[in-house]
Amino acid sequence: MTDIPIPAPAAAPVPRAVPRLSALALAILLVALVAVPVAVGNPFVYHVFITICVFAALSTAWNIVGGFAGQLSLGHGIFYGLGAYCGMLLVGAGISPWLGMFAGAGLAVLVALAISYPCFRLHGPFFSLATIAFLEVFRVLALHFRDLTGGATGLMIPLKFGWTWMVFRDRWPPLAIAFGLLLLTLAIAWWMRGHRIGFHLVATRERESAARAAGVRTVAVRLVAVSVSGALTAMVGTFHAMYLTFIEPAAMFSLTLSIQIAMFALIGGLGTVFGPLLGAVLLVPITELARGWLGAKALGLHGLVYGLVLILVVLFLPNGLMGLAARFTRPGKAARGVQAATVAAAPRTAERPPVGDDIVRVEGLQKRFGGLHVTNDVGFTLREGEILGLIGPNGAGKTTVFNMISGFLRPDAGSVSVRAPDGTWQHPSRPADYAALGVGRTFQIVQPFAAMTVEENIMVGAFHRHRDVGEARAVARETAERMGLAPWLGAEARGLTIGGLKRLEVARVMAMRPRVLLLDEVMAGINQTDVRRAIDLMLSIRDTGVSIIAIEHVMQAVMALSDRVIVLNSGQIIAQGRPEDVVRDPTVIEAYLGKEFVHKELVHARA
Amino acid sequence: MDVFLQVLANGVMLGGLFAIVSVGLTLIFGIVKVVNFAHGEFLMVGMYLTYLAVTGLGLHPFAAVILVVPVLFLMGALTQRLLIQPLLAAGDHHIQIFATVGLSTALINLALLVFGADIANTPSSGLRQPVEIGPVRVLLGQVVILGAAIVLVAGLQLFLARTRTGRAIRAVAQNRAAAELMGIDVDRIYALTFGIGAACVGVAAVLIAPLYPTSPNSGTYFVLIAFVVVVLGGLGSIRGAFAGAILIGLIDSVTGFYVGADMREVAVFGVFLAILILRPSGLFGRQLRLSHVSP
Amino acid sequence: MLALEGVDAGYGATSILHGVSLEVRAGEVVTIVGANGAGKTTTLRTIAGLVTPTQGRITFEGEDVTRLSGHQMVERGVTLIPEGRQLFPEMTVRENLLMGAYRRAARGRQAETLAEVLDLFPRVRERLDQNAGSLSGGEQQMVAIARGMMARPKLLMFDEPSLGLAPIVVAQVFDVVDRIVKTGATVLIVEQNVFHTLQVADRGYVLENGEIVLADAAKALLDNDHVRRAYLGI
Repeated sequence: MTDIPIPAPAAAPVPRAVPRLSALALAILLVALVAVPVAVGNPFVYHVFITICVFAALSTAWNIVGGFAGQLSLGHGIFYGLGAYCGMLLVGAGISPWLGMFAGAGLAVLVALAISYPCFRLHGPFFSLATIAFLEVFRVLALHFRDLTGGATGLMIPLKFGWTWMVFRDRWPPLAIAFGLLLLTLAIAWWMRGHRIGFHLVATRERESAARAAGVRTVAVRLVAVSVSGALTAMVGTFHAMYLTFIEPAAMFSLTLSIQIAMFALIGGLGTVFGPLLGAVLLVPITELARGWLGAKALGLHGLVYGLVLILVVLFLPNGLMGLAARFTRPGKAARGVQAATVAAAPRTAERPPVGDDIVRVEGLQKRFGGLHVTNDVGFTLREGEILGLIGPNGAGKTTVFNMISGFLRPDAGSVSVRAPDGTWQHPSRPADYAALGVGRTFQIVQPFAAMTVEENIMVGAFHRHRDVGEARAVARETAERMGLAPWLGAEARGLTIGGLKRLEVARVMAMRPRVLLLDEVMAGINQTDVRRAIDLMLSIRDTGVSIIAIEHVMQAVMALSDRVIVLNSGQIIAQGRPEDVVRDPTVIEAYLGKEFVHKELVHARA
Repeated sequence: MDVFLQVLANGVMLGGLFAIVSVGLTLIFGIVKVVNFAHGEFLMVGMYLTYLAVTGLGLHPFAAVILVVPVLFLMGALTQRLLIQPLLAAGDHHIQIFATVGLSTALINLALLVFGADIANTPSSGLRQPVEIGPVRVLLGQVVILGAAIVLVAGLQLFLARTRTGRAIRAVAQNRAAAELMGIDVDRIYALTFGIGAACVGVAAVLIAPLYPTSPNSGTYFVLIAFVVVVLGGLGSIRGAFAGAILIGLIDSVTGFYVGADMREVAVFGVFLAILILRPSGLFGRQLRLSHVSP
Repeated sequence: MLALEGVDAGYGATSILHGVSLEVRAGEVVTIVGANGAGKTTTLRTIAGLVTPTQGRITFEGEDVTRLSGHQMVERGVTLIPEGRQLFPEMTVRENLLMGAYRRAARGRQAETLAEVLDLFPRVRERLDQNAGSLSGGEQQMVAIARGMMARPKLLMFDEPSLGLAPIVVAQVFDVVDRIVKTGATVLIVEQNVFHTLQVADRGYVLENGEIVLADAAKALLDNDHVRRAYLGI
C-alpha cells in the first residue's frame, strides 16, 4: 500500500471488442448446431447433434442451481425422469407430450420444492449426498410401482407420428425441438444471470451471510432457482423420452446421467451462462463417436475420458473452459495492488443536520456461548444522525453485540427495537427484517462476493431498493465513485487489496441507502492517508442523515468521529460518554493496558 | 420366532459387511474432512485385484491381502497427494466433490474397458459354506467379515489412542493449525490417513470378493450405503459408524423380509435423509458439526 | 539467533506486514507492541512458518528459514504458543502435553520434560486425565504454555497469553511467564498488557500498520507516550 495517489490503470475496463467477439463466436456455434447436421444430412450426425442440444440444455438448466446458486445437485435425474415418465404416461392416456411437457414441469417444481427446502440446510458434499439419496429413492420407487411405470421392463411409446405426438420419421423436427429447448434454457439462464435474481443467487453462493445482510432472502431465491432448473430439466426429459421412444427407471433416474450433466457444466465453466453449452459441445461427441465407431470394444472409453478430463479441469482449470477463454481475452491483473491508492476526498457538502430522536434502542442484551458470558446486560440507544463509537479490548464482545443488533444472532434475553420510517417501533429478528428497516452492516472480516466484479458486488446492495438492473447499476457506479472505487468497477473483487476490500464492504452497504449503518472495524489494516479520508467519508455519510454505530480500534478515528463512545469489556459496558472523557477514564485505561499502567499514571501525576 | 431370529442374524451379518466398507470412509472423512466419492471404486478395484490374485496366481482369497492392501494404501495416499492436496488450499467444495466424482467415473470406466461389463466371480474357496449358530444359519464368509470388521474397528481405535502417529492423526483432525505448531507434518498425516482409509477398504474387498460378484459398478451400491452409515454414525466417529452399520444392516434385512426386497433401499435411504435433515450430527455423534466440513 | 530482514507477509492478496526487520538474540526477552490489527500476530505466525513471506528473509541460527513450513520450524526449535490456546479439545491434558513433545529433539526426553513442566504447573498436574476441552480458560492457557515448553524450544513465542482471561487468572499467567523468563529462555512475546510485558522484556518493537516504527530498550519504551500512541492513539 502506498500513500501516493496513483491514477487508475488505463487497462482496467474490459475492452468493448471482447463481448462482441464472444457474441459472434456464440452465434456461430449455435448456427453450426443446426446447420452442420442439415448440411451433412447423415442420420448419425443428426443424432449426435440432437444429443448435444439435449445435454447442453440439461446442463444449462442444472447450472442455474449448481452454478448460479452453488448447490451441487447430483440428483437432477429426478427431474429428467419425472418429465420423461409424466410425458410418456400422458401420451398413453391420449394427451399430447406438448401438454405433458408442462405437466412434467409442474410436477418437477413441486418435487423440487419439497426436496430442496429441507436439503438447503445442508452444505457442500452433504447436499450432493442427499440429492443422490433422493435420486435412488425415485429410481427404486419407479421400479416398484410397475403397474404405472412398467418397472424394469420399461415403457415404449405408442408409435403415433406427427407433431402432436412429438414422434417423427424425419430427422430435422426433433433437431428443431431440441435446439428450441436449448435456446429456451439458454435464454432463461442468461436472463436470470443478468437480473436481480441472478445477482442474488451468486451473492448467496459466494457469501451467504453478506447476502443476508444485503437483504437477500437467501432461501427464497434458491427455491426459485431450483424450481426453474427442475422445470426446464423435466421439459427436456419429456422431449428426450419421445425421441428415445423407450424409457426405463435405470436410464431415467440415473446417477451417471446426473453426474454427466453436472460434469459438462463444470468443464465448460461453472456458473457461467454459456459454459455448459461449451462443455456439452466438446464432450458429447466423444460418447457418441466412441459408441458409433468403436462399438462394444470401447465400452467405458468415453466415461474414462470424461473422468480424466474432469480431474484435469478440476486441477488445472477450476473455472472451466470459459475461465480459460477469459484468461486470453481479459487484460491481466492490472488492477491488483494499487486499489489502496485513492479514496476520493469526499466533499463535505451538506451542513450537519441536528441530532434527532432515538432510532435504535437496545435493552438488556444477554448472550452466553457455552459457559462463557459474552454479552452481559448491554443496553444503549442510537439517535438519528449520530455516530456512536463502540470500543473495547480484543474479545470484549463487540462483534457479538453487532450480530445481535443485525439479526445474525438471537440474544438469550433483551430486545432490539428500530424506529421505522413511519415512526412506529419495530422488533426485527432476521437479517432481512433489519435490512428492510434500513439497517445495513459491514463485517469485520471482509465478505466480498469474490467471483463478482466490484460493480456487481455493489449492485447486490443497490438491488435492495432497486429492482431494475439499470438503476442498480447507476446507483452502484455513483457509490463506487464516492468511495473511490470507480477505476476498479470491472475488476473481480478477489483481486482487491485489504484497503480496497474494506471500502467495497462499505460501498455495498451504502448502496442499500441505509438509515442506520453498523460498521465493524472498517479502518483496521488501512494506511494513515486512507484513515483520514475514511473519516471524512464517514462524516459526509453522517451529514446525509444516516445514523452510525462504529466498532473501531483506530483511536484516531474513534476520537474524530464519535459523538458518544461506549466501552465494552468482558461483555459489559464499563464506560460511556464523550470520547475525550472516555479515554481518560481509569476503568477504560485499565481494561486496555492493565492495572499497573493506571497505577503508574497516578504516580506520574502526583510527581 | 426362528424366522425373526434368522432375519436379525442376516441383518447383523449385513451390518458387518457395511461396517467394514465404511470404516475407511469414516476415517478419511473424520480426519481429512473430505467426502471421498470414489470410495466405492477403491472397493471395486480391490475386488478385481482379489479376483486376479485368486484366479491368476491361485492364491486363497485371504492371502490376496498382502497384494491388495498395499496397492490400495498407495492408491489412497496418491489420491490425497496428487488430487486432494492441491485442492485443499482452494477450500472450494465444488471442486473437491468433482475431483473425487471424476476419479470415480474414471475408475468405473477403466474397469469397463479392461474387464468389460461381465461379472467376475471370485472362487468362493469354501467361504460360502453355511455355519449354524444356534437356531440361525449364516455363511462362513459373513462371519469372517463381521469378525474382521470388529477387529478392524478395535484396531483402529487402539492405533489412534495409543500410538504417537495415531495421536498425531487425531491432533490434526481436532486442530489443524495447532498440530502444525507441534511439529506435525500435516500433509504427510493426510496422505497417511487417506492411505489407511483406502487400505481398510482393501481388507473389505478381499473378504467381500468371494461372496459377491465383481463388476465395474460393484462399488456404487456399497458406497451409497457407506455414506448412509457414515452420516448415521456421526460423521467421523469410527465406533458410531460401526453401530450405524449394524443398524442399517438390520433395517435392510427386516424391510427386505417383511415389506419387500425391492423396498430395502427406500427404507435405508429414507432413514438416511431423515437423519441428514433432522439430526445432521448423526445418531451417535457428538463431535464434528457439519460446519467442520465447510471451514 | 533470529533475524527478520525486510519481511512482507499477508494472507492471499491481503498484505499485512511491510518491510518488517527485527532480531532476537539468544537469551533475550523481546516484545512486540502495537494496536489491534497492526500485524503482531502475523509477525509471530510468519516466524513460526505458518505464513510465508512474500518479500525479505528470515534467518534462524544462521540458517535461511524464510520458506520453511510450520513443522520444519518446530523441528529447528521455534515454538509458538498461539493466541486463544488452540488445544486439542477432545484429548486429555496428558495427551496434549505429549503432542507438545512431538518434535524429534524432544521425544527422547519426554518423561523428564513432563516432570519438569508439571513442577512449574501444579494445577496442570491435577488435570492430567481430563479432556482439555473441559478446562476453564485459565487452565487451558496454562496447558497451552506447558505444551509449548514440552518441545524444549530454543525460541519460545507467546501470542497474547492473557487474552480473554479474568484479571486474577491473568496474574497467574504472568507469574508463569516470569518464571519461564527467569530460566534464561529466549522469548518473543506479544501481549496487550504492555506495561507488565515491558517490565519483563529486554527490548521492544512498536508495530504500526504492519511497519516497525520504533525499536528500543524495554525500559525506554515504558515511557507512556509511545505506548499510549500505539494503543489509544492519543
